[in-house]
Parts: sequence; structure tokens; C-alpha cells
Amino acid sequence: MEVGKKRAVSFLLGLLSWGVALVFFFPIFWMVLNGFKEEIDANTDPKLVFDPTFDRFDEVTSQTQGLLGFREAFMNSVWAVSISTILVLVLAVPAAYALAIRPVAKWRDVLFFFISTKFLPVVAAILPLWIIARELDLLNTRLVLIILYTAMNLPLAVWMLRSFFSEVPKELIEAAQIDGAKLRGQITSVILPIVAPGLAATALLCVIFAWNEFFLAVQLNPVDGSTIPIWVTSNVSTRGNFLAKLSAASTLATLPVVLAGWLAQKRMIRGLSMGAIK
Amino acid sequence: MSQQTDRAEQVKRLQRREGWRRRLPLVPALLFTIVVTQVPFILSLWYSLTEWKIVPPEPRNFIGFDNYVDLLDNRFFREAVWTSVWMTVSAVLLSLLLGTLLAILLDRKFFGQGFVRTLLITPFLIMPVVAGLVWKTQVFNSSFGVLNWLLDSLGFERIEFVTRWPLWSIVSVLVWQWTPFMMLIVLAGLQGQDQSVLEAARVDGASSRAMFFQITLPQLRPYLELGILLGSIYLIQVFDYVDVITGGGPDSTNVPYFVFQRSIGGGWQFGQASAYSIVVVIASIVIATFGLRVLSNLLEGEKP
Amino acid sequence: MTRTSRKGWSIRLLLLSLLAVFALVAAACGNDDDSDTSSDAPATAAATAAATAAATEQPAAPVESRSINVAIVGNPQMEDIASLTPSLFTAQTGIEVNYTFLEEQTLREIVTRDVGAGGEQFDVVMIGMFEAPQFGANGWLYDLNDFAADTPEWNVGDIIPAVRGGLSYEGGLYASPFYAESSFVMYRQDVIDAAGLTMPDAPTWDELADIARTIDSDEMAGICLRGKPGWGDLGAAFTTVLNTFGGTWWLANADGSIGAAQVDQPEFREALEFYVALINDAGQDDAANASFNECLSLYQNGQVAMWYDATVAAGILEADDSPVKGLNGFALAPTKVTDASGWLWAWALAIPQNSSDPDTAWEYVSWATSEEYINAAGESLAGGWAAVPPGTRESTYANPNYQAAAQAFAQKTLDAMLAAPIDNPGTTPRPGLPGVQYVGVPEFQDVGTRCTEQFSAAIAGSISVDSALSACQDIASAVSN
Repeated sequence: MEVGKKRAVSFLLGLLSWGVALVFFFPIFWMVLNGFKEEIDANTDPKLVFDPTFDRFDEVTSQTQGLLGFREAFMNSVWAVSISTILVLVLAVPAAYALAIRPVAKWRDVLFFFISTKFLPVVAAILPLWIIARELDLLNTRLVLIILYTAMNLPLAVWMLRSFFSEVPKELIEAAQIDGAKLRGQITSVILPIVAPGLAATALLCVIFAWNEFFLAVQLNPVDGSTIPIWVTSNVSTRGNFLAKLSAASTLATLPVVLAGWLAQKRMIRGLSMGAIK
Repeated sequence: MSQQTDRAEQVKRLQRREGWRRRLPLVPALLFTIVVTQVPFILSLWYSLTEWKIVPPEPRNFIGFDNYVDLLDNRFFREAVWTSVWMTVSAVLLSLLLGTLLAILLDRKFFGQGFVRTLLITPFLIMPVVAGLVWKTQVFNSSFGVLNWLLDSLGFERIEFVTRWPLWSIVSVLVWQWTPFMMLIVLAGLQGQDQSVLEAARVDGASSRAMFFQITLPQLRPYLELGILLGSIYLIQVFDYVDVITGGGPDSTNVPYFVFQRSIGGGWQFGQASAYSIVVVIASIVIATFGLRVLSNLLEGEKP
Repeated sequence: MTRTSRKGWSIRLLLLSLLAVFALVAAACGNDDDSDTSSDAPATAAATAAATAAATEQPAAPVESRSINVAIVGNPQMEDIASLTPSLFTAQTGIEVNYTFLEEQTLREIVTRDVGAGGEQFDVVMIGMFEAPQFGANGWLYDLNDFAADTPEWNVGDIIPAVRGGLSYEGGLYASPFYAESSFVMYRQDVIDAAGLTMPDAPTWDELADIARTIDSDEMAGICLRGKPGWGDLGAAFTTVLNTFGGTWWLANADGSIGAAQVDQPEFREALEFYVALINDAGQDDAANASFNECLSLYQNGQVAMWYDATVAAGILEADDSPVKGLNGFALAPTKVTDASGWLWAWALAIPQNSSDPDTAWEYVSWATSEEYINAAGESLAGGWAAVPPGTRESTYANPNYQAAAQAFAQKTLDAMLAAPIDNPGTTPRPGLPGVQYVGVPEFQDVGTRCTEQFSAAIAGSISVDSALSACQDIASAVSN
């Protein structure tokens, strides 16, 4: 009796989870579906039954000389995102070490400074950034995006990594010191293995935010060498229907990060749970 | 005597060297952040003291604090501040609440658990520009949107979501994107909690409700605070969504969008726009400091 | 120790799998195109073609590769020219053209800042009729008349005079029109007939409103009007109404600068109340969100019977794949106290003073906006002659091919273009440079956008017309001298 009731409740809760998940996923499903429609079928009452076509995908990936094409934008994004993420980690790991394992005197203030840089609205900083980039001849380069994406993600990374680093038991480090392990040895043999899931979680977040960044890219690098979000919006037209085309482009644009997120979700949770808050 | 001072000096020097050895790994990141973020900030500070338009091109004039005086009695700026506060607070709290509920649902074994979690985290991975466009054109749209089609087929009146409730339309897209993130954080908290305490309580015959409120929730608190902090930092900056979904207007122009409109969005008043943003930065930092110190033990909690 | 290395491995595995995913996606998407051409092929082909051309036709043609950066707005016509550029332009001249497609608002931000503050990102920019004379007056653009003497085939005399006038400042022509439009009323002839009504060729707003209210039904709204905020969206449509109702945004001072804001005047109120009431009584659903594209979809879906908007829409409604092809009538923009009210707009190509290579830029501009391009486009575009950029040249309307393809709307479009009251749009002199659906002062962008946000909210019913007007008066007064 009791067990039966429990099982029923459990079943209902499972059903509820499924329901909520499907609702949450629906807009994405709908977007993907619309990418397989003709414009005329997308710009009308919602249709579930239609003749699916790959034409929109062909259209948006077709290369026209002189135009930002999908492959070019994709490779630009891959460059900007991967290099900035690597840079973030290269800068953030030592910083987190100095804030957590052998903390500097005013580590709280330093940490707060890092976070506070996230409060300057990007919209407000864009003009000085544009002027600086112009003076340094950095407009329309990948480099400007790499630098800014690094700066954009660095505070988050320092902050998360510091929590992961402070998870490392002090005794382990002391033991390693007694063993006579040099600093590098300490880091590679003791600390890194413990914070690895945290590093992965941090890197993934950086990748997501950088991949999806639109404003800086469109303001500082719209000409060539531009990234995927710019390519997506180049499919929006003010004269004529574009829903199906935009859906196809959006599907392609979000795919890499979605796949990465799907693959890494468990590690992400583990990374967060091991010490995002200590 | 002199030997003693020598030794004291040596100790001091050693300490100093140790201090620098500790600081050294911090230097690259700190230097990078200072150069990339503070130089534009200082430039903004300088622009905010000038009158500077580029259309029509006028020479930049130093006008002192006039821009700051101006913004005090600008009703549109005040409205934008309120919109920002509402948008951020409601989006953060709603996504946190929903995320927590979903995390609790997902923290149990059931058929297709992994798949359900995969579906649920997906919105967080979607590009903001794309999310805004998809919701506006394919969900909210009163003629071709899915929501209205649903309302229609259930026999209800169609609702013009975006124009009738601009703020809530934006908030719901934000909640849709950020709930998965909050869910991940809380899920991490749930999976990281001390199982032995829970086991002990269960053995003691505690009801599951009591266990949740007295053991799980307090353990989750730092995770919830983390969610609030990260959510606020990102959501107070929301720009793409406003731009794409409503394009501004009463109840949807938030502070970033307002600043944008005053500057490159058509106003071309760079001096004035800079003053607005300086005020916003200072206010955010004050609130954040206050919030961090009072609300949370994120920074105070443990001894390093 | 074993634990450590296993963890190290799993991290490496994760990274590898991430890379693999990237690579897979890239490869999968890349393969589509590989079947057509390799990425270098078009460039090589173009280079070969250029070399051949140079060898056969123009022995003196420069062999070194030249390239220019062009910023244009994302419209179907612009996509057409981008797709035709390699074969029709680069192959002949050896000039490579790098296009940047931007959405209208973003294009304005970037181009204004670039040419105004010296970004030197573009050799050719697409600007509207609003910007061209202003930028020209600011000294930011080359006067195209200076180039025109050496390029007779560009034929400046062929450009429709009103359009040429709108792009000029004090005798200098600062941009060459790529495509131009006026506004008029499109309506479903069958619906009007079925209701036993007739549409005058030049209706008044009162007549049009009566018709709209009569034919409005649950299934089909009477009229589609722009309601989306933005000086170029609701701002454009509403300002033409405002003009013909005898209202205006600002008085002009003696020196042409911005005088007192007139938003609190009775004519302004009358125009806004009329517009809001017409939309509420007989307008489309979700009007506060609708602009050109939304109305286009509604009209094509048979959800509205009339539509007041840009003349360029006619070409889409009468296209071969349009569900309403052949069902449409067209009438001039409605009036009240003035004789004509249609707007005038052009997207035009200009050469910034900071262009690194103005001569090459001009080669491109004179090709892209020439009769030659229009003819070539008519021959090679999938959409055929009806899809060529309209409204710029008289020769287009004299061309029998175009007349045949665009017979339903060509004459009406030309009539509307010629009727547009560019020099005298309202009843009072206005500040700044000429303009119909906007006031030719830079401040109008900001004021128009923020005021139409208020008006749009009034259309949605979330604020009253009164509070929209008072907010707008505040906004407009802030820039008065």
C-alpha cells in the first residue's frame, strides 16, 4: 500500500519532469523544425505537417565571394573562442593559486576587484574600446575579440577557479612540500588532478559566453573575420520574409555549443559541486 | 646591536620576498584586467565631463559636472533604472526558484533522467540573439506564434504578449535561458551534500519535508547565493534581448539600452552617455559590495 | 597515483571529444560546399577571368589585385548584387568586393561612427536619404559629381530627380541611389469589390479609414499600419500622416535650426489620435509590433485587406511565388490638408572621405548603381526583371522588359515617386534639410525613435495617447534651441 503510493508519486514526479523538460525544449525544437520549411510555411499559422526541405540550409551555407560565409565565420569563431579560453585559463590558474592556496594579503579585495570589472556595462565601454582599437589598428581583427573575450571571461574564471583551488586539502600540499616537490611539481601532481573537473566546467562556461557574444563582435569586427553571431543576424532582412532561413542559420550556429554542453553536462555539475562556493 | 638590526632587516627582506613570491602568479591576470578594463573606464570618466557629439560633429568641450546634473532630473533615466531593477530582480529570483524546483525533480532516479536533464540545460546554451529572435518571431508573435496558436485552439483570445507586457516578455525569455544555469548550480549543491548527515537523519526517522528544510536547504544556501550573484552580474547587463524583442519603450528600456540609445543608438551624445554609465558602474559596485557583505558569506565564509 | 593519471586522462579525453565535435561539425557543414567548389576556387576563377579579360579586352587594365570593403543593409536586392558581383564586376575589373551585411539599425550605428569618427573601415557605405545630405554637409563624403564627368555611362541625368535632390546638399551629390521607394496604399481588389466599395486613385485618410472600418472583419483586418518603434518604422509612416494633417515636429528658427517642439499642438494630437484609433478599430493584431515584414506576412496570408507602406512591397506581392499575385490594387498615399503625402526614401552608395581608395570605390559605385547593372540583373536574377532594384532611374521604367514584368505596379510606383512632396511636405517650414517622413536634422533619429516608443505603447494600449504626447513633447523639447 505504502510502497504503491510512493511508486505512484514517483511516477507522477517523473512525468512532471518530462513535461517541464519538453516545454523548455519546445522553442528550440520549433526553431530546428522551421529551418526545414519553405518561407511561406514558416510565416503562417504554426504548421507541424509540411514538406521538409534542406534548401534553407543550402541557402545559408552557400558561399558568395566577398560575403561572410558560414565556414569563414565558423572558423573565426573557433579561433576567437578557443584562443581566448586558453588565455583565460593561462591567466586565471596562477591567479587562483595566489588567491587560494598561498593567498596574498588582501585576497578578498583583489577578488572583488576582478568581479567589479563585470559591472561596467559593455554598452557604455564600447566607445572608448572602439577608439582604442582604432588607434591600435585592431578594428576588424580577430585579435581584438580574443583580447576582449579574455577580459570578459577572466573574472568569472578567476573566481570559480579560486573556489576549486581552495577545495584542495592543505595537508596534501604540505605533504608535497615536505616531499620536496617543487612548485611546478606541486601543481601538476597534486593540485591539477583535483581541480580538473573544475577547470573543465570553467572552460566550458567561457566557451559558451564567448561563442554567443554578439555586441562586441558587431561593433568592433563587422567587416571580415567576423564571428558566427554576426553571420546569424546577417540572415535577418527588413524587406522580405526570413524566418525559415534564420531558423536554419540559428540551428547551425548554436549546434557546436549545444553539443559541447550536452557532452560535458555531468562534468559541469561535478565541477560546480566540488567547490564553486568555498 | 647592528647585528640585530641586520637580522631584522633580513627577516623583513625575506618577508617581502615571500610576499612578492605569493603575488607574482597574480600579476599577469591583474595587469591584463587593469589594462583592458580600466583604461576604457578612465576614458569614459573623462568623456563624462565633456559635451561631445559626433553628429553633427562638434568640438569636444569640457563642461564639468553638467552631464551629471542633467541626469538627476531626467525622468527617462529614472524609468530605465526602475525597469532594470525589476527586470534583474524578477528574472534572477524566478529562474532561481524554477531552477531549484527542477533540480529537486531531477535529483531522483526516474526513466530518462539524463535525457530530461539534457533537454533542460539546452536553453542556456543558445545564443542570446537567437533566443530573442526565436521567442519574438515564433513563440510570442500574435499571428504565427506558437503560444497564440495554442490559446486560439483552446478557444481563448489571442494575446499580444510583447506589446502588452513588454517587461514580462523579456523576463520570461531571460528566465527560460537562466533557469537551466540555476538548475545546474543547485543540482551541484544537491549532489555535493553530505550524505552521512542525511542518512543519519533518515535513521532517526525524520520526515522528508523536515529533512529538506532543516538539512538540505541550509546546505544549499551558498549555492543559491552563488546563483543570485552570477545571475545578477549577467542579467543586469542585458542588452541583446531588449534590442531584439522590443527595441526599447516604456517598461522595456533598461539602463544598458538607455545608455546605448543616448550614444551610438542614435543619440550620439557620448559625453552624456558616459556620465550615465559611470553612475551605473558606481551604483552597481556599491550595491554589490553591500549585497556581498550583508547577504552572503561567499567572500567572508572560510579562512583561506 | 593511478587515480591521478586516470583523472588526467579523462580531462584529455574531454578536450579531445570537444575538439572532435568541433571538427565533425565543421567537416559536416563544410562538405556541403566542397561538392560545388573548394573555398579558393571562386577567387582563382575570378582571377583567371580577370586575367583573361585583361589579356583580351583591356590590355591596360591593372593586374595588381585591388579590393574594397562595402557596408550594406541586409535586403533581398542587396543579396542579389552580392551574388552577381563576382561574375559581373570582379571578373571585368579585377576588383574584389568584400561585403558586410548589416541590419538597418546596426548599419547606421557602425557607418555613422566609421565615417564620422574616422574608423576607415569602409571604402563604400550604404546610407539612406536621411544621412546622405547631412553627411555631405559635414564634409564626410566625396561629391560624386566630381567623378561623374569621366564616367558618362553612369548617366546622372537618368536618376529620378526627386531622388537625386534628396541625396544632394548645396549642389553636391553625395550618394548614388541603389534603390528607392515612396509609400502608397496596397489593397485587395477582390475584397473591396466584394464589399461593393471603390478605392479612389488618390484617397484621403478619411475615405481610407471609412473603407478600412467597413471591410474590417474577424478573419481579415481592414488595414495594416506600422506600429513598431523606430524613426524609420512607425516614425516614417506616422510622420507622413502628421504632415498631411498639418502638424509638424518642430518649428524652424530663422537660421534653419530646431525651434519649439510642436508635439503639444492640436494638429499633432489629431494625427496621433487618428492613427491610434484607426489601428484599434480596423488594424492588424499586435500592431505595436508590426512594421514592413510583419505587415507583408499578414497581407500575403490574407489577414489584412489593405496596407499602407513602401512601394517596394508591390514587387513582392506581385512576384511569381506570391499567394496574392494578381489580386492587388494600388493607390497614392492618402492625404488630408496637403496635396500629396507619400514618403521618399533611397538606399544609396556613398564614398567616405576616409576611404583608402576612392577611385576604386567609385568604379564599384558607378557599376552597382548603373543602368548596366539593372539590365544585367534583370537578365540573370532568379526573380527576373520584377526583382531589379526599383525607383532609381527613369530608364528602368522605360524598359519594355521591366514594364512587362512589373506591369501591375510599375506606373503606380513611378507616380508615387514623382508625387512625393520632398520640398514641401507639410504646412509649416521645418528645420534642417529636406525630408518627408523624417525631419532632416541629426537629432530626429533619437527623438523619433524615443517618441515612437511612446506612440507604440499608446497603440498597444499600455499608456494613454495623452501621456505618450506629453513624454514626447519632453523628448522633443530637449533638443530645441
